[in-house]
This record gives sequence, C-alpha cells and structure tokens, in this order.
Amino acid sequence: MQTQEILPTWHGSLNLVFEQRHDRTALIQEQVQAPLKVLRPFYPEGSKICHSVILHTAGGLVGGDRNDLNFHLKPNAQALITTASASKVYRSNGLQARQNIQIKVDTNACLEFLPQETIVFNSAIYRQDLRVELAPGASWISWEITRFGRSARGERFLQGEWRSHTEVWQQGIPLWIDRQWLPGTAEIINSPHGLARQPVVASLAWIGQPVSPEIVQQARSLFPHPSFSGVTRLTSGLLCRYRGNSTTEAKSWFMDVWQLLRLSFLARNRCIPRVWQI
Amino acid sequence: MENIFLDNSALLCILQLASPALPVGAYSYSEGLETLIDTEIINNEQSLKHWLEQELHYGAIRLEAAVMVRAYNAAKLGDTKALSYWNNWLSAARETEELRSSSWQMGRSLIRLLLQIQPQIAQNANAVGNPCNYAIAFCMAAVGWEIDLSAAILGYLHSWATNLITAGVKLIPLGQTAGQQLLLQLKTNISSAIKEILALEDDDLSSCGWGLSLASMSHEIQYTRLFQS
Repeated sequence: MQTQEILPTWHGSLNLVFEQRHDRTALIQEQVQAPLKVLRPFYPEGSKICHSVILHTAGGLVGGDRNDLNFHLKPNAQALITTASASKVYRSNGLQARQNIQIKVDTNACLEFLPQETIVFNSAIYRQDLRVELAPGASWISWEITRFGRSARGERFLQGEWRSHTEVWQQGIPLWIDRQWLPGTAEIINSPHGLARQPVVASLAWIGQPVSPEIVQQARSLFPHPSFSGVTRLTSGLLCRYRGNSTTEAKSWFMDVWQLLRLSFLARNRCIPRVWQI
Repeated sequence: MENIFLDNSALLCILQLASPALPVGAYSYSEGLETLIDTEIINNEQSLKHWLEQELHYGAIRLEAAVMVRAYNAAKLGDTKALSYWNNWLSAARETEELRSSSWQMGRSLIRLLLQIQPQIAQNANAVGNPCNYAIAFCMAAVGWEIDLSAAILGYLHSWATNLITAGVKLIPLGQTAGQQLLLQLKTNISSAIKEILALEDDDLSSCGWGLSLASMSHEIQYTRLFQS
C-alpha cells in the first residue's frame, strides 16, 4: 500500500454520443482520455440497441484521481453502457477521488447504465456525482452496487468517506434526488440506521414513466427479504434498495428486476453483457 | 446560535406551530418506526434513542431541516421561485412513496389551516402550489409569524422528536416517564445537530438513508399496522 503515496494522479475522461440512424443506434462521437477506454460498440440484440463497455486501465482510483464521463443519447437512441470489471477505490492519501457522470437522454431515447460493482477500500475518500437530464418521453435505468471494505479479508469501512449523489432532472424539475453519504465509522457501519453490519449496499432506479403498484409488487416478489431489500415508487419510476452481504445477490435480484422492467416498458428481454461473466 | 431571543408573540406562535395539537395528522405516521419495532430492531428506550440520534446527525431529518433553512430564507425574501425549487427538491429527495405522501398530506393540511388563520401566506402558498411538503408549509408559517429561523428549526425538530417518541411509547411500549426522559436527553443532540444543519452548504446536502429507506419500504407492505403509510 505504501507505493500508492507516490503514484501520480489520473484524470480520465470519456465522452460518448449516440444517434439513431435508420433504425440503428450508432456511436457517433467518442473522445477518450486514459486511463478510461471504451471497447468497440457491439450489437448482441440487433442494431437498435448499442452496447458499450467502459474500461478503467489503471485498475482503480486513488486520492486525487478524477474521472469525467459524459453520455448523450440523441432522440430515439437506445444504448446500454456497462463496465468491464468491478471498480476499486483505494485507501486515500488524504485526497478525495472523484467521478463525475453527466448524462443527457433526449426524447424517446433510453439509456441503460449498468456498471459493475465498486469496491470502496477502508480509508478511501470517494465522491461520485451523477446527473441526468431526461427529456420528456425519455427513460433511464441504472444501478449502483457498492461494497464497503474488502470484506472477504475481514476489512471494514472504519475510516474514510463515501458520497454518491444522483440526480435526475426533467425540464428544470427534479424527478429523483439521492444524495447518499457514508462517513466510515464503527457507529455508522454497525447501526441499523446505517449499514447494519452489512458490507454491501445497492440501488436500482428506473425513471421515465409512472409505475403501477403491480410492478412494485412483482419487483418485491423477485427477492422477498424485507430485512435486506425494499422497493418503492418514485413520482415517475421505481426504486429498489439492497443492504446485505453479497454483491452477487444484489446483482442477481437487480438483473431480474431489469428483466421485468424491460418486458413491461421496453418490450424486450434482457440481454446479459458477456463481460459480466455470469 | 447558543441563544435565541423571541418576543412574546413569536414564542407563543412557535409553541402553537410545534404543538402535537396542530391538526395536521402527524400522530398517524411513524416514519418506519412501526416496522423497526415490529422486527425488534428497536425494542427499548436505548435503541429508540440511538435511532433518533442517528437521524439527527446523519439522516433524512437533518437533510430536511437543511432544506428548511433555504425555504425559510426564500419565503422571507418573497423569492417564490426559490421556495418552489426547494419544495420540488424535497419531494424528489424523499426516501419512499410513503414518506413523500405523508409529507404532502401534512403540508396540504397545514396550508389549508394557515389560509384560514394566517392568510398572509397565500402568496407563497399559491406560488408553491400542490403538493407542498410539510416542512415547506412550516417555513411559510414561521416567516409569516416572524419566528426567528433557528427557533423555527428547533421547533420543527422538537415536534418531530415528540411525534416519534410518542409512537415509540405506544408501540415498544415504553412508560410515559421514559418517553419524557428521552425527549429531554435528545436536547443535546438537537442543539448540536442544528449547528451542523445551519452550517451546511448546498453541496453538502446529503444523508445516510439506508436504514430509514428499508424500514419505510417495508412498512408500506406491513400486514397489520397502527400507523398510516
């Protein structure tokens, strides 16, 4: 761990623009700055939906590192964006590691942003800001899965700080504001009000259309463990939360909810990206 | 912010506004406590106190009170655009549908009452429209009655704590004296929380919401319950 102190900091950036042309969603603009990379887009479920995989070639973030990601889906574009592997945020040297994600989804476009989990090491200081501008008629589904501490080796998140601010706006009105904050202290990770001794938290949100109570009920029944999970309605969507001990469990429930939402709102089955190695 | 000076009128008004007798239906909501008590996560005075302390220092009530500071200042300046902005912000930041609808229901009741007893709030109330969160309506009333900002937030936190302690006394159950003892002990936490709340920048508006979200989501489907969703 000592070597981290002398590593230079990275400022990665990525700018992806998708456009629908003749029934095909094309990645029409791609500006990338290392250590971020994007794999060549592919179309495992037909030309309408463009799949992109983002890679972070440095292996993870250290204090002072910064990632800026911009995604823009032009009208009617359909894209699925994921990451090649779990992200890591290492123990901090005192500085904050940041990730900024700006997303713009135009009319009738749909973005599925389904990154793999983030492992936040003990003593990491991390902040993510994700902001979505959602045009009327557009939709967005995303999840965020976070493990606090390398719990397999008994590490707990006793020091450091994690913030994850997610906001979805439509024409100047906020549809969902989720400003999560978790200072690493024994009090908070043990308290039933905070992590309740569980190392993993996760959220899935679908926003763009009102959701019926039946869909909420179905999403609940896919993982009926109220001490570890819950589902509620947003004013224009659905929110699932998980607090437990397994990223695999969270991911597997979210994949089932994703399938339910895809069938209910997008008239298609889920198509599991091969990089997830499930 | 150690001392607050209120004239007689403002003191009487904050007592009225923060009173459990205010007819807005606060007593019918438990903010997830009913589930937490049902599952025995909260089962005595100590665990209830711990929960309320965590809420005050890290939770949704801290975030709500910080938004109230902004709404109060907007209402005072007659900046109806900012007042609406913070009302929308609060609606979007609610952890669950249950918490959002309870805040809207109490907001609606308070606005209806205020239009009768304090009609000068009409301009702010009309600008915000429906739904109006309870905390926002509370700020309009406090500004209308010239209650100092800190006194208004203290009053709000006091009425929040009283309401949840009353729910705890009923559900755990606890003795009435234990409930009053707890309320008195929370004084220190409310005092320190308000200092943090007043100092928060917009960029720091955040909370640790896992426990409350899950409890409230689970309360939405709890089979038998005394408290409303």
